[in-house]
Amino acid sequence: MTQTRSRIWPLLSLLTLVGLVVSACTQQGGGPSTGGGAGAADPNGELVTNMGTEPATIDPQVESFVQEIGVTMKVYEALMTFDLKTGKPIPAAAKDMPKVSSDGKSYTYTLRDGLKYSDGKALSANDFKYGWQRLCDPATAGEYAFTGYIVAGCEAWNSMDPKKDDPAKLAAAKKTFLDSITISGNDISFKLTDPAPYFNAIAGLWVGVPTREDQVTKGGDKWTEPATYIGNGPFIMSEWKHQEKIVYTRNPNYRNPAKLAKWTSVMINEGAVAFAAYRNNELDIYPVAAEDLRTIDGDADLKKQVVDGPGSCTFYVGFNNKKDPFTDKNVRVAFAKSFDRDAYINDVQKIGKPATSFISPGIPGYDSGDTFQKFDVAAAKAALAQASPAATAALANLKLTYSSSARNKTRLEWFQNQWKTNLGVNATLDPVDSTTFTQLVKKPETLPVLFLLGWCADYYDQQDWLTTVFSSKASSGRVGYTSKQFDDLVFAADKEPDPKKRDDMYQQASRLLSSDAAAAFIYYDATKILQKPWVKDYSITALGFEGQHWTDVYVTKKS
Amino acid sequence: MLRYVIRRLLLIIPTMFFVALITFSLAHLAPGSPFDKNPNRPLPEETIARLERYFGVDKPIPEQFVIYVGNLLRGDLGNSFVQRGRPVSEIIGQGIGVTAQLGVQALLLALAFSIPLGIISALKQNTPLDYFSLLIATIGTTIPGFVTAIFLIYIFGVSFHLLPFVGWGTWQHSIMPTFVLALGPGAFLTRITRASMLEAIRQDYVRTARSKGLREQSVIVGHALKNALIPVATIIGPATAGLITGSFIIESLFNVPGIGRFYVLSINGRDYPMIMSTTLLYAFIIMIANLTVDIVYGALDPRIKVS
Repeated sequence: MTQTRSRIWPLLSLLTLVGLVVSACTQQGGGPSTGGGAGAADPNGELVTNMGTEPATIDPQVESFVQEIGVTMKVYEALMTFDLKTGKPIPAAAKDMPKVSSDGKSYTYTLRDGLKYSDGKALSANDFKYGWQRLCDPATAGEYAFTGYIVAGCEAWNSMDPKKDDPAKLAAAKKTFLDSITISGNDISFKLTDPAPYFNAIAGLWVGVPTREDQVTKGGDKWTEPATYIGNGPFIMSEWKHQEKIVYTRNPNYRNPAKLAKWTSVMINEGAVAFAAYRNNELDIYPVAAEDLRTIDGDADLKKQVVDGPGSCTFYVGFNNKKDPFTDKNVRVAFAKSFDRDAYINDVQKIGKPATSFISPGIPGYDSGDTFQKFDVAAAKAALAQASPAATAALANLKLTYSSSARNKTRLEWFQNQWKTNLGVNATLDPVDSTTFTQLVKKPETLPVLFLLGWCADYYDQQDWLTTVFSSKASSGRVGYTSKQFDDLVFAADKEPDPKKRDDMYQQASRLLSSDAAAAFIYYDATKILQKPWVKDYSITALGFEGQHWTDVYVTKKS
Repeated sequence: MLRYVIRRLLLIIPTMFFVALITFSLAHLAPGSPFDKNPNRPLPEETIARLERYFGVDKPIPEQFVIYVGNLLRGDLGNSFVQRGRPVSEIIGQGIGVTAQLGVQALLLALAFSIPLGIISALKQNTPLDYFSLLIATIGTTIPGFVTAIFLIYIFGVSFHLLPFVGWGTWQHSIMPTFVLALGPGAFLTRITRASMLEAIRQDYVRTARSKGLREQSVIVGHALKNALIPVATIIGPATAGLITGSFIIESLFNVPGIGRFYVLSINGRDYPMIMSTTLLYAFIIMIANLTVDIVYGALDPRIKVS
């Protein structure tokens, strides 16, 4: 899924600092009250958070952005969800883990008894089927339809042109797909194209939640407004003032009622303003940006309110494995080992964790023992010395391509400097505008030689990382890495039913990726928030849309 | 006069057409698609191609333009690509009232302080009063709105809890954004008023008016001011258009649910229908504002014949 990062001009943050000094000088009394009150949950408690911008869409079968998913998953519940601690799929609307056929290609989930939508209507297995049907329907034009392609018939139907293709063919493709999802009482069975142990994770995503056919029909284009956006999840979307806020209230018909009575998501665009609102007690939670750290360090009250958690992205230096000098593994290894990740975090990135392997902490498959790429100038120089003459020649005019911004420039200058100091290699900075950069890194033909990129998780499974990004079946030409050994490992692991064996295979693949230095991993992003003392049990996880994430948080009385 | 107005109104049609043509071409020539948003989690190529086909942006650009103009003539501005399923007319319709209210308030405030300040400082040239007004004008022009906004938020919002700074609804909410928005144009207008007033009071007809024994008040108001305001009126036209169509930065900072932010957001998002509609709206308002100024000219200065 995609994250939007709030634009905060460096100047703004400087001003925040100045502003804080002003406010410190003018503040009367003790400032905002941080009294926690008693520890008991306030049954009428309200939590106010910031979602940044107006969501582009909150249609579960269309959306792909983090804050959009945050709306859907408060209001709907999928068949599965994820354990807060381990990230493993656990039953949600489903009663139990699914029954899997012996060939691994059929998954049968049984719904819990007595499930209801927030308006009281009983929830049936057919409602889930309708959700999946919308996902794969080409007329929905969903951004994440591809996550459903593992269900037989989804890809063929979704790939058709709903306006121009022969209606009879469209109907036939639809039927083929619908036949692969069968309903029997409270049971729903999915027929898959291949064995896919990661299907439980897909069943925990927002894409297959039970949107209501009657409400979608009733609301038409506007069905995502509160009157018809009726779900089976912990909250009811009771108000949506566009560009301003969304208000959720507790769904009394949900099987595990939320502890909060009300959750308000405001849309404050600018980080500096959101920070001011947090200090003014208008927000209960504020995600900290690097620029805020100095202010927070200088304020004992704020410092106590900091909570850390994992992020969901890994950032790396991308090498075009198909172009000199990076066709030569020695060069890639040399580049990967010749920058000091700890210094990068301390001096440049500020928030994050050094990375020497691909999968980020908080995601199954995170491998803290994989340290092949660790900072080691001697080893880096030795590797470079073994590089082929052609590769060495190509080092002479090396361009470092990046999406132009003041912040990226600082980052890239740091790398430029590290490679110059530690390897004696001069790379020229090559800024391009952000949309162009996105275009360039998408296609193998236009992939720059050396660039900075990241990957963010969609769900808790190694398949979403290793297979999706670095295999020869990767959804887009990420770095042009091709390794038969890597492919064999991940493709076998994708289908392996035994969890232990599967994890082992992915780990081997991941270590191969690091030692081949397909890319040089830099850091894992991390979440740092400020949280008011009256907020309790607010979980920070990589994905942040687990069922318990919504139901467990509560507030105590504020005064 | 009426004929002139009608001719000018008719001229708006071809101008709008060319604005549309140029905007459309530029928007589509810029690389990128409305559907690839983040390099760190790109959608698969096939998905983007499918979405482009679905929204009709895979067709040749001239064909898309013809379709667009056809829909436009029928009053259909299209649906936003980024805010899925929401018609552009609805998005603009919801925000324009707020933006216009803020803009008109800011304009009135700017005029209310800039014209008196400009006149006074011209009449009291090189006195402390003049220097004070120059200081205000210089601060207003040189310090960007978002800087002033952050200062105000911290002082009046966070420290003294005097004014709300998030959202929109009550009159208190509009105080700070109105003030910040008025500051820039107001400062500029102060300087223009001062300069043209200084020029006017040195003119022969002012001396004549004085020598025939008119009271100072009628010399200033009746003779000097009327002529001094002509350049000011020229500036007010585009300033009005700018204020009414909103400010991206001010609206973002104070969370005002207006349309100003769409000018920038829609371009970054390659949201073609939004880009077109916001640009055309802006062009239209500028043209109307300019026409109004031209008509006002005639009233202010009989030497200018508007026909």
